[in-house]
Amino acid sequence: MMEQPQEIRCKGLGVSEGIVIGQVLRMHDGTQHVYHWKVNDADLETERRRFRAAVDLASRQVLTIKEQAEERFGKDHAYIFDAHLLLLEDEKLIGDIERHITDEHANAEWAVKVVGDGLLYLYSQIKDDYLRERGSDIEDVMRRLLVALSGAQPGNRNLSEDAVIVSQDLLPSAVAELDLEHTQALATDTGGWTSHTAILARGVGIPAVVGLRDFYRRTKTGDRIIVDSTRNEVILHPSAATLKLYEAETASRVKGRSAADLKERGPVRTQDGVEVTLRANVEVPSEFEGVERYGASGVGLYRSEFLLARRGAMVSEDEQRVAYEAVARIAGQQGAVIRLFDLGGDNLRQQFEEPEKNPALGLRAIRFVLCNEEIMRKQVRAILLAAAHGHLKIVLPMVADVSDVRRAQAIIQEEATNLRNAGRSFGEVSVGAMIEVPSAVFMADKIARIVDFFELGTNDLVQYTLAVDRGNDEVADWFRTLHPAVLNSIDQSLKAASNAGIPAIVCGEMASTPAYAVLLIGLGATDLSMTPSSIPRVRRAIAGIHSREARLIAEQCLTCETADDVENLVRERFTKLWPHLFPAGSLPAPRQPK
Amino acid sequence: MIERTLLINARLGLHARAAAKLVRVAGGFHSQVLLRRLDGGASADAKSILSVLMLAASCGTELQVSAEGIDEEAAMNAVAELFADGFREMEPESSL
Repeated sequence: MMEQPQEIRCKGLGVSEGIVIGQVLRMHDGTQHVYHWKVNDADLETERRRFRAAVDLASRQVLTIKEQAEERFGKDHAYIFDAHLLLLEDEKLIGDIERHITDEHANAEWAVKVVGDGLLYLYSQIKDDYLRERGSDIEDVMRRLLVALSGAQPGNRNLSEDAVIVSQDLLPSAVAELDLEHTQALATDTGGWTSHTAILARGVGIPAVVGLRDFYRRTKTGDRIIVDSTRNEVILHPSAATLKLYEAETASRVKGRSAADLKERGPVRTQDGVEVTLRANVEVPSEFEGVERYGASGVGLYRSEFLLARRGAMVSEDEQRVAYEAVARIAGQQGAVIRLFDLGGDNLRQQFEEPEKNPALGLRAIRFVLCNEEIMRKQVRAILLAAAHGHLKIVLPMVADVSDVRRAQAIIQEEATNLRNAGRSFGEVSVGAMIEVPSAVFMADKIARIVDFFELGTNDLVQYTLAVDRGNDEVADWFRTLHPAVLNSIDQSLKAASNAGIPAIVCGEMASTPAYAVLLIGLGATDLSMTPSSIPRVRRAIAGIHSREARLIAEQCLTCETADDVENLVRERFTKLWPHLFPAGSLPAPRQPK
Repeated sequence: MIERTLLINARLGLHARAAAKLVRVAGGFHSQVLLRRLDGGASADAKSILSVLMLAASCGTELQVSAEGIDEEAAMNAVAELFADGFREMEPESSL
């Protein structure tokens, strides 16, 4: 009898929301064992020809990837592949490898490896962090050459319907080649929130967990796997009990994707008639079509820092304007909220300054743009100009109090005046504040008096309220979205908005989880913004509840002592009140005492 | 032969994308275009992306650029323009 393999749980970082049960498809990152053999004089010409054929094949592949990437992710992301193409055309590089074949009588694979490793070593000596990291481009090209030499075709394999791609690292070109239509989820050993894998997975709406360290080597293609990014976890060989739990949980998600649900659009009403607006969070162009497909009421959050690509350079005013016009177009009458560049210590500054000791508490978001006024003015002008052709709003990320807001508003006013004086056509934009740090929560009533709307960034709010880095494994047990401190912060912010008579949009992962969304309704939220693909299931949950009941539960949650108490309460009451929406086992199980 | 000192003002320095642009521009001329770091002496052939990448020239690096050949003036002007524009970051792709 075959022994049942032990269930293995591995913690990583969930970078794209969702839960999937599927089968492992191991994807080699291209590293392979390279053998060395001596090539006879007579065969040298054949060997060089074999190498040149591989270079041709690799170039054709990169060209295709580049074209596809342009279409799917925009030109900025595709640009890197032009560098890959040039490397494959580089006379010095290709010449060095050919010379190595000739001089050393080496097989082509060995020559590629020796020359490539030599270059990578030189690259690793570069002092500039950003430039040194670019060694990955050389690595990418070398691996592609080796694969081409082996005669294998990378990518485009026949994926089963439930393929979960497991890899050590997905290099940019490998990601661009994935057959995403048939990929259910991604799980990689390396990577972080802003890695290519993460951006892409969020873009196409498939779950992804990264930073799993040595997970890849434990897997075999065909193994059963659960990818649960909401719990930052993957489970290999899940036990029958675990599977059952997850099947119940994913049942609602599968239904949420059914065609009937996709027909629903616009606001949703609770059973007792409270109207809730559902908007879309978008970042990459490939997400845009989701706004229409999932029936979102416009764009509640556009993460403009995507325009800066991967820690990229500044984008011109014109290019920004074009991008914002595109967002306004897909948002339609409901409009789009553009968040000013939300970046800082770990993004733009790194290449010429010492990294900050504590970037999360450093010069970032509104602080960064206020200190780099030209960047802010350029972005504001682009938004104002784009607003001539559509409905746009600006939201200020990470404000601490009214002084940040006033400074930003003054700059926006000045830019509007300048455009008016220059006789250019632009649109008025309203300006809102992101409430995502504790100081803003405490000052919410003051801020509410001077802005047009609030936007609650729940991800950062949880992180900053609890002082817990969601990317840090060691403190994962302290990252509790349903912590009473978080719920009270949300409650206080929503009340401040309502007292001042301004709308408040809740964005962030919280709004895209049905149970949490219901709790938000209980706290008085009527405007949620989320990953477009989450909208149908959140819509379904909200349509099935009474807001009065949600309010009673939420009020009780606010008085709880611990996150455990809140979770237990939610589980108990939700499964009792709405068993069709939250079947037993569909909510997180009680935490095991350690 | 003509020579000029040019400053890299692209935020990320001569990283892969900027280097690709430089190689595409230099590659459009017959002249040989060489880059030499003023601070170290490492030099590079502007028509080889590998060579340019290995300069590891970050933002603020000064380079001595030389062009030699029948169209050296045009080549130098084109390269200097690219430097002056900060390597036109994020500009739409030119034809291949």
